[in-house]
Amino acid sequence: MDKKQSRNASAPVSRRAFLSKGAAGVSAAALAGVGEAHAQVKWDLSADVVVIGAGVSGLAAAITARDAGASVISVEENFDIGGRGMLSGGRVHLGGGHALQQKFGIKDSADQVFKDWVRHDSMVARYSDRDLVRVFADENVASFNFLIDNGVEFIEKPIGPEAASTVPRTFVTVEWQNKDEVYAPGGGRNGSGLVRRLEQSARRKGVQILLRHEMKSIIREQAGKVVGIAVASPGGNLNIEAKRGVIIATGGHTGNVNFRRTFDPRLTEEYQQACMPYAYQGAKGELAAMDLGASLWATANQTSESGAAITKTRHIGCRWGYSSLVFVPESKLFHLAKATGLAVSDWQNMIFVDQNGQRFWNEVDGSYRFFAAAMAYRGGTKLNGGGPIWAIFDADAAAREKWDPKPPHVDPDGYFYSADTLAELAPKIKNPHQKQPISGAVLEETVNRYNSFVASGTDSDFKKPTPMYKIEKPPFYAAWATPILHDTLTGLRSSTRGEVIDTRGAIIAGLYCAGESQGGFAQHGLARCVTFGRVAGRNAAKGTA
Amino acid sequence: MHSIDVELCEPVPAEVPVGADFVVKLKVSCPEGCDLGALPVSVTGPDQQPVTIAPTPGEADACEIALTAPRQVGEHAWSIAFAPHESEGARHEGCALPIRLRTRPHATSLAIWAVPSPVVMGERFRINIGAKSSAACGLEGKAIEVLDRAGAVVARGRLGSTPWPGTSALFWTELDFAAPEQEGLAWWSVRFAATDLETPHEGTSSRFSIAVVPRPEHRLTVEVLEKDSKAPIADAQIRLGAYRAATDPSGHAEVAMPKGTYDLTVWKVGYDAPGRTVDIHGDTAIKVEAVVVPPENPDAYWMM
Repeated sequence: MDKKQSRNASAPVSRRAFLSKGAAGVSAAALAGVGEAHAQVKWDLSADVVVIGAGVSGLAAAITARDAGASVISVEENFDIGGRGMLSGGRVHLGGGHALQQKFGIKDSADQVFKDWVRHDSMVARYSDRDLVRVFADENVASFNFLIDNGVEFIEKPIGPEAASTVPRTFVTVEWQNKDEVYAPGGGRNGSGLVRRLEQSARRKGVQILLRHEMKSIIREQAGKVVGIAVASPGGNLNIEAKRGVIIATGGHTGNVNFRRTFDPRLTEEYQQACMPYAYQGAKGELAAMDLGASLWATANQTSESGAAITKTRHIGCRWGYSSLVFVPESKLFHLAKATGLAVSDWQNMIFVDQNGQRFWNEVDGSYRFFAAAMAYRGGTKLNGGGPIWAIFDADAAAREKWDPKPPHVDPDGYFYSADTLAELAPKIKNPHQKQPISGAVLEETVNRYNSFVASGTDSDFKKPTPMYKIEKPPFYAAWATPILHDTLTGLRSSTRGEVIDTRGAIIAGLYCAGESQGGFAQHGLARCVTFGRVAGRNAAKGTA
Repeated sequence: MHSIDVELCEPVPAEVPVGADFVVKLKVSCPEGCDLGALPVSVTGPDQQPVTIAPTPGEADACEIALTAPRQVGEHAWSIAFAPHESEGARHEGCALPIRLRTRPHATSLAIWAVPSPVVMGERFRINIGAKSSAACGLEGKAIEVLDRAGAVVARGRLGSTPWPGTSALFWTELDFAAPEQEGLAWWSVRFAATDLETPHEGTSSRFSIAVVPRPEHRLTVEVLEKDSKAPIADAQIRLGAYRAATDPSGHAEVAMPKGTYDLTVWKVGYDAPGRTVDIHGDTAIKVEAVVVPPENPDAYWMM
């Protein structure tokens, strides 16, 4: 496929002409419109390769490019490195027969990885671009070795088979030992060990990492090669030259409401993004590349209704209650997170009600049928998205779960409420996304009806399997339980070398992508980020004609 | 002689609960641009009596006057008057601004808990009922009633003097009454009239249900064990339709029930126990072996 793709850079365009779109906030003198002469672009910094984003894929790309002899500048908009990898559980799904697999007698091969991850009977494999899966498969062992060579440590315990894989491939990295440098300490954020080790290695090898430097646009010769980026930083705006290539490793898009609705118009503003308030998934790399004509790819993956594109909150009563990710009071980000949330062990302990105070589905279900019901149209003027979902429970449920439903466990500023009666609880519920008060009479009747199902043993409305507990003992509670968005499973179209491809099928010379900003391979987690980061770094270091 | 312009900075609420405090925000100005300084203001209340106020200066010729609504339900009017005033060498006319609003009674709401289920036909049982004033008024000693579906009062009581633990002002009592002589899901309503309160309150009602079952004939003993270790599993929830129990530390639970065929569900987080059908013809003992389900690793979020 790639051989057939044309390379714009080889076309006879003037290297003296530049195009920069979406350059708001960029040095006006340097980027004063389309077609400025090359000499008029003032480069404040220069490197062979410029990597946008210092998360898992960005760090892997930067190290690999540096290993290949390129000078590398890495720009990161956050105040620290790591992106979502910092908050990841650290599960690395690499196979192919690497050393740890061999140690545990797990037989695997690149061919097996490929066959598994193009399975037609797997929703997480079915829609992927098999050219990219082939690259991933062939690079698995090298990616594992790359991590080891750069200091990443693994817990020697194989997990799996998981997802499309037919043999155990998941190994978990060792959490970073300095709790002050883990932004959600104490909760198994083992991904911190991966990104901190890669950061260490990158710095040691001479990668220049610029924190709080936000890419504003990608600078390109007129219809030609990408030659740098424009950046905003606390010290001012900069233009950074990339002599050989720019790598987009900015993460995914699930925090960007406008962008994510491209794939699913139901995903309106009430759905929060996992890993906030640390790592925002703003689609910045995708948008900057699309300004240059880049195409998205394998978009079916985003809406295949498999994997963790959207999940139950797991931690209720706080804004960002994703999975096992908890910001404890000792976290440096707790002042932003505001609450740890109440960790749910048994969904039988509550009912979920919608913005009208009514149940909408079987609460113990975690499938995409649940999410479809949560996002259903419920009358009124809000046509897309289902509005907030609230968990309603009582004092007995709090006791069964051993919850202390007070701050710092819950956030009473819009995400948690309590009252002596259900009728008083309902109108207390206020949140920017709760567009009208819930009627106390409606909530009371919802609970009375549910309690009758508990008494009879049968949920006549939503077939919750044997509803166990009445909601009756005061005080009563309402906790934010709106599903939360996680995985970005689609992104920019790229060649097997990581080169970004435009909507006409042509490679945008000098521009590469990796990680969640890259489309085509829907595997959850860290492995694809490491692997395609390496691929992009290696090829960017070679440069584009 | 200069006039004085008086306008509301924001609308006065059309309705507030009886006895509620509310604030009137006013902007007072002279069209000629005079600085009105300390403009004398007085307020006449709904009873035509002067109201003692302490105006709070606001931004740019604005002031805030805190008032309290009467404890009677109805329409009420206040008059905020500014006396003639000498300022910057000019005489300013007096003026008055009428304020009108309605008062509504405080709301009340109910909680009904410790409701047993199932209950055998004709047997007496007890429930807890609590009532709450939206203004957290004391409701001790106030009457509460339970009515059956036909509207007949089946139990009466008076709320106790101490709020239920963990609540701010949920006054409660315990009532007992008999289940009907008819099998099935029975509904009752609870009525709180909220009369005889110093401050007007609106009454309320709510409802609750109980599964009413025939007199049991036999005893079902369920023993729940961990499949591999055969260790007893305590606190496993046992359900057979309306019948319910939980296992004790020895892993046993007993359920008294009549003859029949029932679907048994055993539920405990961390275990998986197969559902099964149980035929009850006499006293019966069954064992259920539950399999330990490893705690879900939330990071292993894969679905096929």
